[in-house]
This record gives sequence, C-alpha cells and structure tokens, in this order.
Amino acid sequence: MKRMIGAMVLGGLLTGCVLLSPPESENPANAPASPQTQQRQGAPSAPSGTQSAPPAGASVPAPPEQQAPQQRTFTLGAAATSLVGAAHAQEQSRNFGLAQETLERALGIEPHNPLVWIELGRENILAGNPTQAYGMGRKALYLASGDPHAQASAWELIAASLRAQGRNDEAYVAEEKAVRLSPREN
Amino acid sequence: MLLAGLLGCGAYIYYLNLVVTHRFEGLRWTLPAHVYAAPVDLYAGLNFSPMQLEHELQRLSYHRVVDLEHPGTYRLTGDRIDVALRAVQFADGSRPASVLSVTFGPAGIQDMRDSTGREVPVTRLDPLLIGSLFPIDGVDRIVVTPQEVPPLLPAALKAVEDRSFDTNRGVDPLAILRAVWVDLRSHRYQEGGSTLTQQLVRSYFLSNRQTMGRKVREAIMAISLASHFSKTDLMNAYINEIFLGQDGNRSIHGFGLASEFYFGKPLAELDLPQIATLVAIVRGPTYYDPRRHPQRTLARRDLVLQILAQQRVINAAQAQDAQRQPLGVTTGASGAYYPAYLELVRRTLQRDYPERELTEAGLRIYTSLQPRAQELAERSLDTQLQVLDKRHHRRDAKLEGAVVVTSPQSGDVLAIVGARQADFDGFNRALDARRSIGSLVKPFIYLTALETGRYNAATVIQDQPVSIKLANGRYWRPENFTRRNYGPVPVVRALAESLNDATVGVGMDVGLDKISGTLQHFGLEHAPDQVPAMLLGAIDISPLEVAQLYNGLADGGFRTPLRAVQAVVSADGKPLKAFPLQVSQVAPTADVYQVETMMEQVMTHGTGVPAMRILPPGLVTAGKSGTSSQDRDSWFAGFSGGNLAVVWVGYDHYQPTGLTGSEGALPVWAHLMASLGTPPLELPAPEGVTQTWIDYLTGMAAQPGCAGAVPVQIAVPTGTQVPPMPGCGGATTVGRLFDRAGQLLHRLTH
Repeated sequence: MKRMIGAMVLGGLLTGCVLLSPPESENPANAPASPQTQQRQGAPSAPSGTQSAPPAGASVPAPPEQQAPQQRTFTLGAAATSLVGAAHAQEQSRNFGLAQETLERALGIEPHNPLVWIELGRENILAGNPTQAYGMGRKALYLASGDPHAQASAWELIAASLRAQGRNDEAYVAEEKAVRLSPREN
Repeated sequence: MLLAGLLGCGAYIYYLNLVVTHRFEGLRWTLPAHVYAAPVDLYAGLNFSPMQLEHELQRLSYHRVVDLEHPGTYRLTGDRIDVALRAVQFADGSRPASVLSVTFGPAGIQDMRDSTGREVPVTRLDPLLIGSLFPIDGVDRIVVTPQEVPPLLPAALKAVEDRSFDTNRGVDPLAILRAVWVDLRSHRYQEGGSTLTQQLVRSYFLSNRQTMGRKVREAIMAISLASHFSKTDLMNAYINEIFLGQDGNRSIHGFGLASEFYFGKPLAELDLPQIATLVAIVRGPTYYDPRRHPQRTLARRDLVLQILAQQRVINAAQAQDAQRQPLGVTTGASGAYYPAYLELVRRTLQRDYPERELTEAGLRIYTSLQPRAQELAERSLDTQLQVLDKRHHRRDAKLEGAVVVTSPQSGDVLAIVGARQADFDGFNRALDARRSIGSLVKPFIYLTALETGRYNAATVIQDQPVSIKLANGRYWRPENFTRRNYGPVPVVRALAESLNDATVGVGMDVGLDKISGTLQHFGLEHAPDQVPAMLLGAIDISPLEVAQLYNGLADGGFRTPLRAVQAVVSADGKPLKAFPLQVSQVAPTADVYQVETMMEQVMTHGTGVPAMRILPPGLVTAGKSGTSSQDRDSWFAGFSGGNLAVVWVGYDHYQPTGLTGSEGALPVWAHLMASLGTPPLELPAPEGVTQTWIDYLTGMAAQPGCAGAVPVQIAVPTGTQVPPMPGCGGATTVGRLFDRAGQLLHRLTH
C-alpha cells in the first residue's frame, strides 16, 4: 500500500513537471500536412540572440490549458553590443540623434531583441522624446515575453517615460511591476 | 562713327568681361539631390554566403581582382573575401578607405577582420546611389574635386580637344582660322576648333546655337576667362560642367556623374580605356552614345587612344592593350533606377523642403530601400503577370500590378514597384492607385470584435444569408464567393475562408464606427464611409496605405509610420534632418496575437493555401487575400518574421480580371517571399492568451489525432472554455490533462 501511495505521489509530481514543460512536437495526424503546421508548434522558439533556459522546476504549476511562455534570457549579439557601445559613446558627447541612428542599426540586426528597444527608448528619454520612449517600452515588453529581467527593464523604461511626462501615478505602478519581476538585491 | 563703333565694341567687351568674371567667380553649380539605398550591414553571424556578398559587391561596382589594387576591388580566396572598401559618406558619418577580410562558415559570415588582423564586429558596405532629384531643366551632375580626378583625364582632354590649352589665352586663333576656312568652303558650319575654355563658355554661359555672333561672344568670353582664372580652375570647371549624355529627361553633366552613369563607379577608379571612352563621348554625346552606338563609340575611343599614344600621353603598348578591351559600359541606362521609390522619397521630402532646395542644393538623401528586395519584387511581379496574362488574356488591356515590401519592426519601406515595367517613370500604382481592398479589411473587423471581449477565434458564428436595409430604403444582400452558406462556423474559419456573410454579421454586431476607428488607429488616413459595404472592403486606398495598415498587424499591434527616408545630409556632410523610428501601440497585443494566429490559418487552411506550394518548407507566414466586386482588384497582404509584402493586381481601367486575390496577387506575393530569404514568423505569445487546438470546421475542442476532426492551433484568451467535439474527449483543459498523462505513461513504460 505504501509503495502504491509512493508511486502515486511520484506520478503526481512527474505529471506536474511534464505539464509545466513545453509540449513535445505534436504532429496532427489528420491535419493537412504543410510546412507551416509542421513548423508552428506551441510557444515560439527562442529567436536568435536569446538563450533558452531549461524549464524551471517551479513549485506552482500553471493552469494546464495555459501554455506558459517559454523562459528565455535575451542577450545582445557581438554586432549589436558593438553598436550599443558606440551609441553610449555618442550619448556621452550628447549627440543623441547620432546615438539613435546607431541604435537603429542595431535594431536592423536584432529587430526582435527587447534589449535594443530598451536602449533606443532610453536614448529617446535623453533626447526629450518621452512619448516615443513609452512606445518603445511597450514594444520591448511585448517582445520580452518569457524573460522576467528584460520585462523588468521594459517596465523601468515605461516608468521613466511616464515620469518624464508627469504621469507619476502610472509611473509608480510601472515601477512596482518592474520590482516585482526583478527584485533588486540589497 | 568709327569712334562710336569702337566705343560700342569696347563697352560690349567690358560687359562680357564683367559677366564672365562675376559669374565664374561665384561659380556654383545647381547640384541635384543624390539618393542612396540603405547600406548592407555585415557582421559575424549574418546568414550571408560568399556568393551573396559578391553579388552585393558587384551591385556596388566592385571588381574582382587577383591582388587587391585600389578601393573598389575584392578578391575571393577559398572561403574568404577580401574587400578594398571605398571611402564613403553615410548619413551618420564617413568611413575612410579600408580593407576588410570576411571569412565564411556553414552558417554564413563567421569572422571579419581589418588589415591589421583586428576583429571587426560590424561594418557597412557602401550605400548604393539609386538616383537623383534634379531640377526641371533635368541637369544632373556629381561634382568632383581635382584630387578625385585621375591625372590621365585632363591630359587626355588636352591631347584630344585642345593641345594648346596650357599656353593659349582662351582661344586658338590658328584653330579658329582653320575652322572658318572649312566652314566658308562648305557654306555651312562644319568645324569648331574650339578650345576647352570656349567649350566651357558655351556650356556655362551660352546657348548651343551655332552662329557667327555667338562664336564671337564665345571667343571674347573665353579670352576674358583665361585672363582672370588659372588653368587648373578652368580644367576643373570643364570636368564638372560639360554635357556627356542624356537619360530620358535627365542630362548627364560632368565626368563625375558620367563615370557613374556609364561605368557604375567613381571617376577615380576608371582605367585607361574607360577614360578614353568618356573623352570620346565629349565630341558628341548623342552621336557617340556607347549604349546606342557601341561600334561607333568604340572606333572613336580607339582613335582617342591612338592620339594619346601619338601625343605621348601613353605609350603604344598601353594604347594597343586598351584597344583590345571592350567598352565595358553597364547594361542599364543606370545601374539602379527605381522611379517608384524615388517618387515616394520626393513626396516625403516635399513636406519639409521647397522644390529648389531639394533639387539644387546637393542634398544627400539616405533611404530605407533594399536593392535586393526591390529587384526581387520587380521580378516577381513581372514574371507572374506574364503567366497570368497568358491565362487570362484580354486584347484590350494588360494586367498591371504594384508591390510594397516593408520591415514591420522598423517601418522601413524596403521596396516599391509601381508598375510591371518597373523602370518606367509613369503612373505609380503603389502610391496613387486607390482601389477597393475587398477582404483585406476582414482582419480588422475580427480584431475589433475580439476587442469587445465577446468573440474569440473559436467563437461559433452564423454564416447565413444577410439582408441589411440601407439608408435609401433598398436592401443590401451580400453573398459568399461560393454563393453558398456554411451555417455555424468558428471565427477562425470565417476569416481563413473569407466568408462574407459571416463577417458582415460580426461587423454589424460590433459596429461600423468601431471598425472604422480600428482602421484609423492602424493608419488609415481618412475615415471610410460608414456603410455596410465597408465590411466587405469598399474602401479605396493605395497599396502603400494597405502596407501601413498591415504593418501594424505584422508588428503585434504597434503602429510604426512607414518611412522611405532615414536622413538628409547637406552637400558638405552636415546632418540636416533625421527621420527617427517612431512606434506607438494601437491595439492590445493579446488581441492582435489571436488575429495573427488566425491569419496563419489563412495560409494553411484558407485562401492562402496555394502559396504553400511555393514557399520553402518551414517558412511560417500569415496573410489575407482580398478581391473586390467583379474581380476588379486582386490583393494579397502577408508577413513573415522579417517582412511584410502587399501585392495588388488589376487593370487600370477597372475591367474585371477574373482573378481572386488567391489567383492573381498571391502567386506574386508567394514567389517574392520565397526568394527574399525572410525568417519565419515567430510571434511572442503575450500574457493573457493560450494556444489551443480546435476542430477547424466546428470550432469545438479537438486535439490532434481526434478522428473526424480537422485540428488547428489557435490562440484564445486564457480561461476560455471551448466545448469538446463529440468523441474527442472532454473540454480542452481535460483533454490536455489526458494527453499529458498519456505521454507520461508512454515515457514511463518505454
């Protein structure tokens, strides 16, 4: 009996783990075979410039029908890193317009990387365009799905852009979201 | 009387002297604006083959050599390409001439180094000159400094056109006397005998009328010029001023532009036979047009080379070697000519710049144009329209078309094709053809419906006959394309198969004003007439405006104003105006995500299916077809992970084409997308939505493998309960649990 209960508990835990993991490649037997149906399965795969983290053994399982966004960690590639560095140097010499152009080049290389959008949004705040920075923050947040750190940075950008517009209450809420996603270490 | 005559002559000479010195001192050519394509960024990791890089280099008129000689050359060694990059001016700065070594691996560019072996993380190729915005008189030129002129050119000009240039005082009396004698004997103007200074005077100050009076004026002014200015100044002015060809309504002035026009490269890079060809053309740019009269021009060039050898400018061996070379002019009237795109550039800048400044101030305009995308778009349209013309032949008209390609994330307009004959500067359909968009409006209707919270992709709606009483008391009774109704269908199917009656039902329920609002948020410039026919796309807009609307869909509900111009720089390299990227959210990402997922089903189960035979395996796309009433307009708009393309096909005079969107525009779109090398669509799933499987026909929950079901994956708001398909297990939640448990059991037992 004990062994049976043990097996059930183990089975339950394993079931929970599997439910949390991204689905296996499923090939609908009676769906029309097409490259598109073969390709698009479950959550989107990690784009270039991201590193897929292994599914974490989280203790709170997500609702089974909800396919949680794949955990990802966005990083910048070498080319984008170089351009972001150049933009920072241009920013130091207060050439914000040039810095934006440089960051747009980085965006051409990694258009789906939220980190580049965050950099561009930050540059817009410095250049006195908080409305644009807000749009870029929202865009970064959309792209950062699955990466809490990138999401937190996006919320920080949104908060800063709201503050720059004098929308302090909304900025406070955005800051709270940033902190919740990526608590700062004391 | 004699005194009066002398005084009059003196006054006239004094007047001409004043004119010459005043105008020449302040010599400032009207400089057309030069327009450049977006430069290609190179970096390690770019999926670029050696062949692709070589193609890009050749587009920029780089020449393959064995040993790198000078900027504008490259060499190919195994899996490495060494490029001697030219010094160039970008919108955000300049780059000196430098050497770049690019090493390729299986996945593309593996490594880039400079001449010292230092790693180069990212660099740009030259921006391709794609045209000029020139004034109404059509004068186009590229001004060169004396340092940019190969020394052989002035030497050759002197040897062939004016041997006494260094010593004469603007005129060569012996040459004039000889010319007068020849003219008198033949009773007509036959020989000129003009010095280079006289030719300069004629081109800069006078008309081309060949009268004795003008010859006298020309001589006086030439003497005046020669007495006031140095020979170096005169030669430089001549090299920049002289007329050297005609390209439609555009006059090619100066050797700088002529070099680009005939050989596609800067003047400094021309070799001996090419310099000789340009010197040959001076004698008569129309008569010695190397493209229209190659044999005649070749003979004249060889004569020029012979004269150069006789005059010891070059040696005999050099002349003979050069005479063995072909003319080597580029095939097109100009290497890259995209009139439809240039028109968008002109219109963009007309808002900020008066015409005169735009066409005479020597502005450098940097655009978003991607030459490769442009060429592929032109080719796809032309090739497919030829196929369609054969199938749907009309004697009285030829099918026309337009294509717009964008990069959804940045809003950059990468390509515009305004006609099937893309290099003809005529009616620009991409910008100016306002045509009914048909079912292209449907994604916006369903997006508006989703935003109400009362619909999702699995919601079952009724596809049944619709009858709507109009304001004039008449009834509007739209029909499906197949003229039959399908009863209860899920929203995803209604969109994928473009069911008119089902969509009109949803649209009327949601409200025309709300749908109009959605369209305007996405970039529709003018509010459409709020009549029921709007729900079937009775909205007349251009392909460019459609691209603006769909760009927002392709970009997750973010509106980015499309831009053709990125920056304007003054003639001396000073940044004048930038067009920075702008972005604003115009719809909830969760709702747009659901619509995008449904538009993927258009490609796999709906009207986009024919594209799947053309698209490469694995290229996930989403799109929508559109057909206006009586098949007058055939549309397709769709996107991948990197590009949006909008295609329109139809007749200019609104005759029915007999083509639906799937039959006319879709093949053009699919061939274009297949050739672009664009990445697959990979949408980031936003919070608040869940992907689930339903039966495409009934909208009920049905996992893959469920007998009798056509399972499709859609996105619905998290927590949505989709009723189960009979015989397919429980609702989605339960079904998934069973599936997962089954998988687990399978793993444990195998």
